[in-house]
Amino acid sequence: MRYPFSVGRSDFIQGDEAIARAAILAGCRFYAGYPITPASEIFEAMALYMPLVDGVSIQMEDELGSIAAVIGASWTGAKAMTATSGPGFSLMMENLGYAVMTETPMVVVDVQRGGPSTGQPTLAAQGDVMQAIWGTHGDHSIIVLTPATVQEAFDMTIRAFNLAEKYRTPVVLLTDGEVGHMRERVNIPDPDEIERIYRKIPKSKEQGKYPFRDWDGDGVPPMPVFGRGYRAYITGLTHDERGKPKTVEAEIHESLIRRIVDKIEKNKKDIIDYETFDLDDADVAIVSYGIASRSAIRAVKILRKEGIKAGLLKLNVVWPFDFEMIERIAERVNRIYVAEMNLGQVYHLVKEGANGKAEVELIPKIGGEVHTPKDIIERVR
Amino acid sequence: MTQIRIAGFGGQGVILAGVILGEAAAIEGLNVLQTQDYGSQSRGGHSVADVIISREPLYDVMVTKADVLMAMSQIGYNGAIDSLREGGTLIIDTDLVKSDREFIGAPFTRLAEEKVGLALTVNMVALGYLVAKTGIVKKESVEEAIRRRVPRGTEEINLKAFRIGYEEGVK
Repeated sequence: MRYPFSVGRSDFIQGDEAIARAAILAGCRFYAGYPITPASEIFEAMALYMPLVDGVSIQMEDELGSIAAVIGASWTGAKAMTATSGPGFSLMMENLGYAVMTETPMVVVDVQRGGPSTGQPTLAAQGDVMQAIWGTHGDHSIIVLTPATVQEAFDMTIRAFNLAEKYRTPVVLLTDGEVGHMRERVNIPDPDEIERIYRKIPKSKEQGKYPFRDWDGDGVPPMPVFGRGYRAYITGLTHDERGKPKTVEAEIHESLIRRIVDKIEKNKKDIIDYETFDLDDADVAIVSYGIASRSAIRAVKILRKEGIKAGLLKLNVVWPFDFEMIERIAERVNRIYVAEMNLGQVYHLVKEGANGKAEVELIPKIGGEVHTPKDIIERVR
Repeated sequence: MTQIRIAGFGGQGVILAGVILGEAAAIEGLNVLQTQDYGSQSRGGHSVADVIISREPLYDVMVTKADVLMAMSQIGYNGAIDSLREGGTLIIDTDLVKSDREFIGAPFTRLAEEKVGLALTVNMVALGYLVAKTGIVKKESVEEAIRRRVPRGTEEINLKAFRIGYEEGVK
């Protein structure tokens, strides 16, 4: 396999470019999108690379069409992705729910910018966290990853595809305009060393008849491939194990939705990823994620030099959420600060997790600039 | 850790200069981050490229106090001079920028016109001067970065411009 970019060495590229290259290395061969700042560079790269790897990159009429095309492509067996920013992400909410309900593996990248509405097109924000988790209606679960560096944007894109395939679910890569547009040195591994997970497909005709039956007890049914002999019925309506609409039977709805939720929530340990800095003996904990966490790392280092025992929990996955871990931290520290580029979103999750065992305070920042280390230090000091 | 800010107006190739400096650092295996800020017009508005280079893991995402500020135009100088730390190195195009702080520099635009024969190469002339004066990356790394990053067919003239700026800097 030849790639249209250099592999097995480091390169100096933008976060958006890193996401596109990682997607192709993860096996993505279908991209549908609609241009929007600050995500357009992902599309530009996909338009350039896809024809060279026998893939498809298509501009749709809007973001509704983009995500719908990605869902369709996934059912033909392709690993598929779309990327957008706030306004487009809002338009995708309806079909994101369709992807959850039909258990369609796919990756949606949201390169966050200031909102609501068209907001601040060129500036970074982290205001879409709750939308990524709860933006589509109805009971559900989903996976949301939050890279802080160009290297993480690369690595987490590959992971997003693997999680999507493993759990047969849409995964949101929630990044921002700062990570999307900054250039950093990033290690692009040898393609043979990349772990790639592929979805389960039916092992028999019998299995193929039941695209929504949990055959092996892990909550993830094998997924038939359109065009390979199965007549699968796919609908957003509540459906039985064959996929046929069953919209009034409480027990069918309950078993379907509980399975869709449980396949993620019961595998939290496998999905959740975080890093800690100086947290073990800390009196004060800072929780942060994505771009804001970089300033938080610097803030912790400066606070430690001043003799303040600060530590950082950097979340790499914001959903599913480890409420129990937050409670364990809250039992050890006096206070928890949450630094995020919004007016309080993960803050509420941390507060719920802390369960009254420690004070939880928000260090918000909006307007387009990332927190400076000083913004954080002055609050903690 | 070294923070470098290059400021000019749109059309001077400020951001490409920042990208090439960053690429050179990456070639040397240093940790490096490059960001940019520019007006929406394609020419004439402000244009700023920030480059942070570090041997340690790099967490910082913005230039807070620049160790080196290179102002290629007055509009760039006016917008960025407050970000230069005390005792930091100020480099200016001596024909285009008036400064009330201590500076070093050369008439980059004039050198590009007269010695390279193409005013468009002002960014490479200025970058050559910066690299010679600061030694932040090796000359050879920048030359490799130029070969990788400039439009095909323009490698030689850009390298020539870079070397003219570099020689001006070692004078």
